[in-house]
Amino acid sequence: MIFSSLPFLFFYLMAVLAVYKLSPLKLRNLILLLVSLFFYGWGEPVYILIMLLSIAVDYVHGMLVERWREDDRKARRAVASSVFFNLAILVFFKYWDFLMGTINALTGLHLPVLGLPLPIGISFYTFQTMSYTIDVYRQDAPVQKNPITFGAYVTLFPQLIAGPIVRYKSVADQLENRREDLEKFVSGVRRFTVGAAKKVLLANAIGQLWDQSLAAENLTAAGAWLGLAAYAFQIYFDFSGYSDMAIGLGRMFGFEFLENFNYPYISKSVVEFWKRWHISLTTWFREYVYFPLGGSRVPKWKWIRNILIVWTLTGIWHGAGWNFLLWGLYYGAWMLAERLFLGKWLEKLPGAVRHVYTMVIVLIGWALFAVEDMGRLGAYFSSLFGGGGWFSPVDGYRLRTYLPTLVILAIGSTPLMGKLWDRLGEKARAVLQPLLVLGALILCTASLVDAGYNPFLYFRF
Amino acid sequence: MKQNNKKISRISQAVTAILFCGFLAGFGLLHVLLPDRTFSPVENRTLAQLPEFSWSALTDGSYTAKLETYLEDQFPLRDGWMGLKNRYEYLLGKREFHGVYLCGDRLIHKIEDAGRAEQNITYLQKLTELTDIPVYLGLIPTAAEVYRDALPAGSENFDQAAYLEKVRESVPDAVWVDIAQALTEHRREQMFYRTDHHWTSQGAYYGYGALMGAMGEQPEPLGTPETVSDDFYGTLYSTSGVHWLEPDTIERYVSGEGVTVENTEKGETHGLYVDSFLGEKDKYASFLGGNTPLYIVRNRSATSSEKLLVVRDSYSDSMAPFLSRYFAEIHLIDLRYYRTSVAEYAQENGMDRIFVCYSVENFVKDLDAVFMGR
Repeated sequence: MIFSSLPFLFFYLMAVLAVYKLSPLKLRNLILLLVSLFFYGWGEPVYILIMLLSIAVDYVHGMLVERWREDDRKARRAVASSVFFNLAILVFFKYWDFLMGTINALTGLHLPVLGLPLPIGISFYTFQTMSYTIDVYRQDAPVQKNPITFGAYVTLFPQLIAGPIVRYKSVADQLENRREDLEKFVSGVRRFTVGAAKKVLLANAIGQLWDQSLAAENLTAAGAWLGLAAYAFQIYFDFSGYSDMAIGLGRMFGFEFLENFNYPYISKSVVEFWKRWHISLTTWFREYVYFPLGGSRVPKWKWIRNILIVWTLTGIWHGAGWNFLLWGLYYGAWMLAERLFLGKWLEKLPGAVRHVYTMVIVLIGWALFAVEDMGRLGAYFSSLFGGGGWFSPVDGYRLRTYLPTLVILAIGSTPLMGKLWDRLGEKARAVLQPLLVLGALILCTASLVDAGYNPFLYFRF
Repeated sequence: MKQNNKKISRISQAVTAILFCGFLAGFGLLHVLLPDRTFSPVENRTLAQLPEFSWSALTDGSYTAKLETYLEDQFPLRDGWMGLKNRYEYLLGKREFHGVYLCGDRLIHKIEDAGRAEQNITYLQKLTELTDIPVYLGLIPTAAEVYRDALPAGSENFDQAAYLEKVRESVPDAVWVDIAQALTEHRREQMFYRTDHHWTSQGAYYGYGALMGAMGEQPEPLGTPETVSDDFYGTLYSTSGVHWLEPDTIERYVSGEGVTVENTEKGETHGLYVDSFLGEKDKYASFLGGNTPLYIVRNRSATSSEKLLVVRDSYSDSMAPFLSRYFAEIHLIDLRYYRTSVAEYAQENGMDRIFVCYSVENFVKDLDAVFMGR
């Protein structure tokens, strides 16, 4: 099930909220666990088994780490075993076919390609459960002895299928003890509605423009750049809208998740962009890969190696394909360049120039990310630099029909609206809040009823 | 003052929570309580029904998928929501809705070469080789060509004029019926319905006129219309989801007295019009009676005693009344259903002329034109 769908909004969410809020505090984690399993099983019921297995294995590993607290060697082994298990199911479901296909192509062997559907959200929840044993080992969080509470953490439906990646230590306390009141609930409602509007009203709409660019037989430079801009907006509003919905839902149930985005498209350098984009993923890699490797407090060549490892992993985390690897390395290279020398030069340039520089790099990055077929990627790049001509009347038509949407998206990518909202007096906000929430809900409903067009981009990851 | 603000803010929070939950739970409840519909006239399709539960359907995921479709299809006020969505997109500058352009008060279907454009020309050439009976070739441009300047500037549009020219040059042995020119000359009149892809009776009249001209005959005057429906919402209305346009009117110019139409498949004979369709969604089918393999239109008091074979799509239905005034017998075959060699059919039934009459839209995607080449 996805959040921006009629069954979720009108049936699942309402039923779950009713049952949850009416049940005694003690039972609430159990209820969360059960409804989350239902949520997870909606699309692929069989995969509930993987989820249950995951809970059981990681629960036991946590207990083992705790038991061997005094014997570091054994405790480390438990951590390693947990990490191995999680990576194994991730690799099996997500990378098996890609690995086998590559090996077959290189060696002429015929190793089996399985074609299994990817369990939804597997990239997210395996990373979460890995964080658990590591956090327990590092004593960043206490072990969770209650399997129900632990199960609720692993399956928690708001962030189950598309993040943010909630590290165990950031919610350990909340699992046992969380404040729920009207104010928090309504702030969740507001956040959820904003996210739904971003996803349903904006991301889906601009996504059509990107699809048209990708399908065009003869793509001009103007069309190709316009298409990339559309994709950049689509993926940001889609993904950050999803995170908003997750954070909002979390609040409705009393949880406070960390932010996942912070206006990435206002960045003035690539380093800054990655401090603002998919924060929960970069934090995860920093804490569980980069720092353990020594981070930057090591000889320079080791530091370069660390950066490249992290960005290779970041790349292939996004998908089993060469383009994702390329995309990760592309960013790794820019990170190195900025930290080594480019950053110093950039500082001397005016802000607008730095912003343009960053956006061009990010847009080209999205081309690498979005066009998975290498042949088509080459063709797209050729279009970007005039291989299909520079401008055609169709580009003008597309620009005109999407211009208002693009303007809204551009404004929505900056903190401007948030600042305006804060500037409003308390009375104005009190009047506007219910009206805006209702208005957004009505438009979203209209869009969802109409839509065969409702794909979630981050489903595959 | 501070106290007052706090109170307002608290009320606002409560109202927001109530609106959010009330809206979602309210429509959820309505969904359960309201009876399900089987058919949507607006979308012109049957709607999904509550799926039957089974464990096997649940475990393979098909049950939940069907349930989702059911919940979408049966959502309360479905048509109203869709209209709202399209209006909102229209305000944001969108002019293309599910492959249909909204041009002022007119919907125009976007035509795309579906890959048969070249091949189907060869079947036409073949037909002129296979038969000695004169072949008249009249491809009907769609509204996207005749009202080309009404389309959004720069929008993608298959070049029908160029295609027609190509067909004309490629099939020199057929007599070219210049329907494009006839429609374009009269474009200030209503050549096409605004909410349907078909031509109006007027448009069909000028198509008939073009055929008469190509045969060297004088067309009869148009005459005065009889309006038989003023609430016709056509196919484009359904596919686009643009639901705020005025309905079309359907007019008839030929009374059809003394004319019989035989539907060979159903074994029925009726008049030129089947009025019962005027009460249904597909009102255009009131001309002749909709799609069928073969119609034979007979008129004892026709001007001539000639027999005409029309290789047709549904555009011919509204032209048949005009043709019936001249031809004593008209056979309209639809190759999608009547899969036989056109040349042989014409030979066996003693046809005097063959008129291949397709809309460009159908011709570039018709997969059965092969029967003209056999």
